[in-house]
Amino acid sequence: MRKPVFAAMLLLSLLCAPLSFGQTKAATPAAGGEDWNALDHKWLDSERTGDFAYLEKFFADSYVLVLANGQMYTKKEWLGILKSPDHPVIVSINPENVQAHVFGNVAILTDHTTLKGHDAKGNSLDGVFNVFRVVIKENGEWHATGVVMNEDRTKK
Amino acid sequence: MTRAYGLIAGIFLIVAWGGVALGQAPKKPASTMESPAATIAVLDHIWLDAAHNRDTGTMAWLFAENFVEIHPGGFIVNKQQQLDQIRDPQVILNEIHPDDIQVRYVSADVAVLTDTTTIRGESAGVKYNGPQRVIRVFVKQNGRWRAAGAGIVPIVPGN
Repeated sequence: MRKPVFAAMLLLSLLCAPLSFGQTKAATPAAGGEDWNALDHKWLDSERTGDFAYLEKFFADSYVLVLANGQMYTKKEWLGILKSPDHPVIVSINPENVQAHVFGNVAILTDHTTLKGHDAKGNSLDGVFNVFRVVIKENGEWHATGVVMNEDRTKK
Repeated sequence: MTRAYGLIAGIFLIVAWGGVALGQAPKKPASTMESPAATIAVLDHIWLDAAHNRDTGTMAWLFAENFVEIHPGGFIVNKQQQLDQIRDPQVILNEIHPDDIQVRYVSADVAVLTDTTTIRGESAGVKYNGPQRVIRVFVKQNGRWRAAGAGIVPIVPGN
């Protein structure tokens, strides 16, 4: 059982060697100094108010959103939904307990988000979620590249 | 036996890196398998194979110290908690493997992928019985790719 793993490790060692040689900057954990709480609030406020100029710039081209039912949207798809005439209505969306795990040019944020809203047909979208957010630093600015939402059942 | 494998792997690694450091690496164009995206995809398999085999040594090697993961139900675990869950004999892991790996972003020191991970088992009171949508994040630290975190959510049928 261990032989395939061992072989894979050896293969990986060879694969990583030229990559490490070409490395000029390593991602190392850092405290950051960023106001992650403000970034998270600005992000969600922009989705609530429809600040598409900000979202177009803030979402990286690689952005993917995974909802709590596992449905996944790309940047183009999600912005298309927010811009559509029958877009969901976000009454309030509030992230709390924002925790940042910073690794140089990428940070993973976790937060506890309470959502109140409804779809175009009036169906409730209310929920409480624990959310995994990924932001990457490009040209000195942070951009959202991924979100995974999970309904918070930790207290049930 | 495990220590012997580790020693051999370590020697192999030093020799491989030494050749590159001395400028003796071949100049031919990089193949597909030498791209960071391919390396990251291999690491995804190693990650889940290690979980399936309860190989917490490999997982500890792979995970960055500040690792974080969100499980279905919104349970947030750090590196130690994830390793402890894998070690827990009460955790059932009948099946775990990734499909549809898509590297969404890659730079010199960051990679982000999505995959569909099939899990059948039970951990921390949460039952897993099918496909999960996952975002995985990798970072390069001291010349080596490591797992920084993952967000996992079950795919409701029809999505």
